[in-house]
Amino acid sequence: MSATTTRSRTDPDTAPSADNTAAAEARPSLLRTLVSSPTVRKLAVLAVIAAVLIPLAHAKWAGAGWPHALTVDVSGPLEKSSDWILDNRDSHWIFLYFFGHISQAIITGVRVVYIALLALGWAGVTAGLTLLAWRVAGVRVAVTTLVSLAVCGVLGMWVPTMQTLALMAVAVTASVVIGGLLGLAGGLSELAFRVLRPVLDTMQVLPAFAYLLPVVMIFGNGVPGAVLATVIYAAPPMARLTALGLRGADAGVLEAVASLGATWRQRLLSARFPLARKELLLGINQTIMMALSMAVIASVIGGGGLGDRVYQALSSVDVGKALAAGLPIVLLAVVMDRTIGVAGERLGAPPAEGGSRLLRGWPAWAGVAVITAVITVAGRLSGSQTWPGGLTVAIEGPVNQFKEWIVDHIYTGVPVVGGTAEWAANYLKWVLDPLREGLQGIPWYGILLIVAALAWLIGTWATALTATAAMAAIGVLGVWEPSMDTLSQVLAAVVVTLVLGFAIGIWAARSARLERMLRPVLDVCQTMPQFVYLIPVVALFDVGRAPAAAAAIVYALPAVIRITAQGIRNVDPSALESARSLGATQGQQLRQVQLPLARPALLLAVNQGVVLVLAVVVIGGLVGSGALGYDVLFGLAQGDLATGLVAGVAIVCLGLMLDRVTQPTARRDRKGA
Amino acid sequence: MATTLAPETPDSPKTGDRTPVFSVRDMWKVFGPKADRVPGSPDAELSAADLRARTGCTAAVRDVSFDVEPGEVFVVMGLSGSGKSTLVRCLTRLIEPTSGTLKIDGEDVMAMDKARLRDLRRHRAAMVFQHFGLLPHRSVLDNIAYGLEIQGMGKAERRAKAAEMVEKVGLTGLERRRPGQLSGGQQQRVGLARALAVDPEVLLFDEPFSALDPLIRRDMQEEVIRLHHEERRTMVFITHDLSEALRLGDRIMLMRDGGIVQIGTPEEIVGSPADEYVRDFVRDVPREQVLTVRRAMRPAKSDEEDGGPALTPGTTVADAIEAVARSGGPARVVDGGRCLGVVDHACLLSVVAGLDGKEAAAA
Repeated sequence: MSATTTRSRTDPDTAPSADNTAAAEARPSLLRTLVSSPTVRKLAVLAVIAAVLIPLAHAKWAGAGWPHALTVDVSGPLEKSSDWILDNRDSHWIFLYFFGHISQAIITGVRVVYIALLALGWAGVTAGLTLLAWRVAGVRVAVTTLVSLAVCGVLGMWVPTMQTLALMAVAVTASVVIGGLLGLAGGLSELAFRVLRPVLDTMQVLPAFAYLLPVVMIFGNGVPGAVLATVIYAAPPMARLTALGLRGADAGVLEAVASLGATWRQRLLSARFPLARKELLLGINQTIMMALSMAVIASVIGGGGLGDRVYQALSSVDVGKALAAGLPIVLLAVVMDRTIGVAGERLGAPPAEGGSRLLRGWPAWAGVAVITAVITVAGRLSGSQTWPGGLTVAIEGPVNQFKEWIVDHIYTGVPVVGGTAEWAANYLKWVLDPLREGLQGIPWYGILLIVAALAWLIGTWATALTATAAMAAIGVLGVWEPSMDTLSQVLAAVVVTLVLGFAIGIWAARSARLERMLRPVLDVCQTMPQFVYLIPVVALFDVGRAPAAAAAIVYALPAVIRITAQGIRNVDPSALESARSLGATQGQQLRQVQLPLARPALLLAVNQGVVLVLAVVVIGGLVGSGALGYDVLFGLAQGDLATGLVAGVAIVCLGLMLDRVTQPTARRDRKGA
Repeated sequence: MATTLAPETPDSPKTGDRTPVFSVRDMWKVFGPKADRVPGSPDAELSAADLRARTGCTAAVRDVSFDVEPGEVFVVMGLSGSGKSTLVRCLTRLIEPTSGTLKIDGEDVMAMDKARLRDLRRHRAAMVFQHFGLLPHRSVLDNIAYGLEIQGMGKAERRAKAAEMVEKVGLTGLERRRPGQLSGGQQQRVGLARALAVDPEVLLFDEPFSALDPLIRRDMQEEVIRLHHEERRTMVFITHDLSEALRLGDRIMLMRDGGIVQIGTPEEIVGSPADEYVRDFVRDVPREQVLTVRRAMRPAKSDEEDGGPALTPGTTVADAIEAVARSGGPARVVDGGRCLGVVDHACLLSVVAGLDGKEAAAA
């Protein structure tokens, strides 16, 4: 309240008044601009609200944390409902005739794929997938596929890899079908789009971890739950991109098609779908990537396969084992991403001219089938169905030795720079702990007010309301303390991520060489499932909050770097040129032209950084970062759904709040209407 | 020399008994809330700005009536925002007119159901678009065959037909390319071939050459002129380019703010502008290349009926100047052996100077 008035009064006075008349003229206009500035107005309103409410709140519920009187204990009803589900899972009709069928279908599907993969044997699968990659994406990707599958085998991970593949196949198919249908609805109907969009946008920012609990509650631990959680997590990008692709179709082309007298169906099949094919493919790609990262996380609820191996290894802090299981995941991700990426590039290009006729069209496909069949039979005849034991290399030993070496040499006591353990300890002592204590020490209404102010300044009153409500919900659920703990981890990691990301991004935007060097690294980093990052950091930082922060930073960094670099490089070159022609120095160009013009991209980078960091910090529960992530894990492990669900909801609320606080709403452009 | 296509003489026998291809009466297209209430209400008389302020509506087409005769090139010209593109879309109800009547060959288009309307679009009127509207994932050949595919024609047959069209528009050798690999002019040739492939009764062009470079534009205009000469297909041609309108149009309809300002032959538009707006519009047109000696001539004196070079009434003033300059004396305007009048230095110069209105008559 008082802030605005004092500012408007002091500012003109402090302004250098070399010219008295000008200053006199400027005074009322400055006041007017201050009053008319939306930022100041919003802050003023908030200040008034705060001035009224805070004394009330303080008088009634003084103290730092969320007042106990304002919490609602939901564990009772939650336990009751979870007990009810446990009691009725085998008898109630909704389980027998609805969830039961879904669960059965998933189990059958996964089993069929798994048996098929086993029947093909390691030779058949390797040959088939390699040839498939060759047909779809060319020789280079085929070689990558071959090598990757071989590595999976050599690491002794063939069977879990096949299990993960089977799970993925079912989950991705279901995600693509469901997401595609939702996207179709959203792409063709304005109403459906309006309903879907906010839901999908929100689902995309929530950490994968949050989806596990409700699924477990209904389906219990096991493959069906894992697949379902994966579908819930992986279908939204497909739906979103399908809808956007269908809606973004060139209106001129659609009009031309209509002018030729096409029916609704002809328009859809011959124009709308083909025009959206890039987005559809991108959707499938994203779905696969998200499914892969979720398939691993889902091992916590019994998904089996590679994720399970990583999970087991992490819980016994066996870095070697974790790496052996993590590497195949990374390779699968890279292979699938490359295959679809190249296939997408090829879609746009005209069919290759020349080359043998046998290498094109159905003869080639038939050839692929025949060769695969032959190799399969040969593999069967030679005996081994799974990867032959003689062809494996145990890397656990060497890796663990290496880890020991790291622990011995850079973990601690390195002169001058200190070891990673010291870094971790310092990070905890000087950054995380003060921040956590600060957050837990601020009165609860103070945090609500800060959240409201941030969300309102960057968005609309609606976003402010959502963010504040989400934050309040956390308090009401009685998980204020652990949430503040998680929040402190997120904030600290985000700050580090942004500082590093902006610095590297700006540098990369200005240096073509660095950009060229970074690009392949970023490509690989962005395809890796979040889970994977936990493996190396455990080796470096042991367990606790520090490795979670490190993993989160490493996971979020590529996206931040990329968005920043792109944003700065996309700055209108003529604006930059005109600044240069006026004699601006490099620093001036950066500060006065590039950064201001790249503001939307930088804001997006902040948003992405926050969302990604949160996702990993929560998973950090696996490596002992405590707080909400641990609660979820504890709930899952102990069957204590009440604790887990409450923590899961708190994670969702935290995600919502962080997204709303950092997501600038696109201002409606009236001019275009 | 610029006008390779001499404008058809204004009084070329207008076959009144033939039904017009398009017959439009009192057509309105209003965008905005409760648009259907505007036509016929007092608001209809308001200016565009007032209408928007009062009702929130924009009248893109205002009370337009005209006929398109079979075989003619009917040009609709106006600046951007004058409603011409909306108008041409209304002709096949790609945009639904708000009110008015619309007939194609005497058949009421407004009364057609979906199937009939589709049939109309498939067989009777094909459109060429400013931004081509080609399908980027299909080859040139398949783009051209697309209209036939929609009609349900078999693959071999439609490809054969499309191959014919490829040749007709001069794209031989590019059949397997994708639209993205073609230049703008080539892409528009594909658009033209796609429209021609369905053998429509009337071709609708929506500013087809506006996005092209001037030289390519000229090529494409010649192409259209050639096609029109070969096939005598009816064309409705939308443009904002006056010289294009004058080059192509048998008749030109000038639009402004959704309404008609003037309909007439190029000569009428240039020679007798309906109002100041049109006069302003055609000010820079080289009059001698549009106006004909019919407009410039004066009655022959008795001694002039035999001597001097003979010109047809459709000769442009520019050509007549050359003839008169060569012979040194007046030239006769002869139609079917009969001398209609003569043109001399004074007549021709007054046309060039823009004095051929009342002043010339008074002189």
